[in-house]
Amino acid sequence: MSSRRSRSRQSGASRITDDQIIDLVSKLQQLIPELRGRRPDKVSASKVLQETCNYIRSLHREVDGLSDRLSQLLASTDTDSDQAAIIRSLLM
Amino acid sequence: MKRWTTKREHQIYSSKLFQALCRSRRTSSSTSAKELHQTADRVLAITAKGTTRWSRAILAAPLTASTNMKKHKKAKVTVHTRLRKPVVNREKRKLPVVERKLRALRRLVPGCRKLSCNNLLEETSDYIAALEMQVRAMTAITEFLSRGEAQVPTDRLGSIGNM
Repeated sequence: MSSRRSRSRQSGASRITDDQIIDLVSKLQQLIPELRGRRPDKVSASKVLQETCNYIRSLHREVDGLSDRLSQLLASTDTDSDQAAIIRSLLM
Repeated sequence: MKRWTTKREHQIYSSKLFQALCRSRRTSSSTSAKELHQTADRVLAITAKGTTRWSRAILAAPLTASTNMKKHKKAKVTVHTRLRKPVVNREKRKLPVVERKLRALRRLVPGCRKLSCNNLLEETSDYIAALEMQVRAMTAITEFLSRGEAQVPTDRLGSIGNM
């Protein structure tokens, strides 16, 4: 589109234009709970990207913690007998 | 992307995950947290029905004790960066901050290292939504299990099911 503003970047696969980044960043902002309400022009692109990465990492960590907890619970609980009941409750 | 927020999807994922966990418990004596996390990711990817790159990447990844692999990968990436950085700086004088963070984001979403900006957006949004559902579902399972056995009061069910 606005080729005068596009810079070729070293990312290898594709030329990323400024417009694409702006687009990506403004849409990402809506996904991040921390940044959701803020005005797009008040938040810099690098901050949005940083927060996105932080958010994904924190979700990973949360799942890690839950996996830990679940593995302990599964080890100590006899799930076989209640499996049907638990699945039924999960599906309700 | 919207599908990750429906109750139906949540139910499908949590029940599938629970069944997978029970199955793996029967075959091996104990499930480490790492294996569990891996199972949770794989079931999540299966629930995506092959429509996204990140889900396909998770399913394509080999099922190994990932600690060794991860360390190996990390070493490779570090060497790469050290070799590349000086070259880039000489040519361009600036390695844009945005560029760096874009690259970090690409590394976090499975299978997206060489993805274009637009597709990266789609993959990231879908991935984040899926992860959020994964957290909700695993929390629900944990709560059910920590309450002990089959007796789960219906009001509790109602509040969790309405997520």
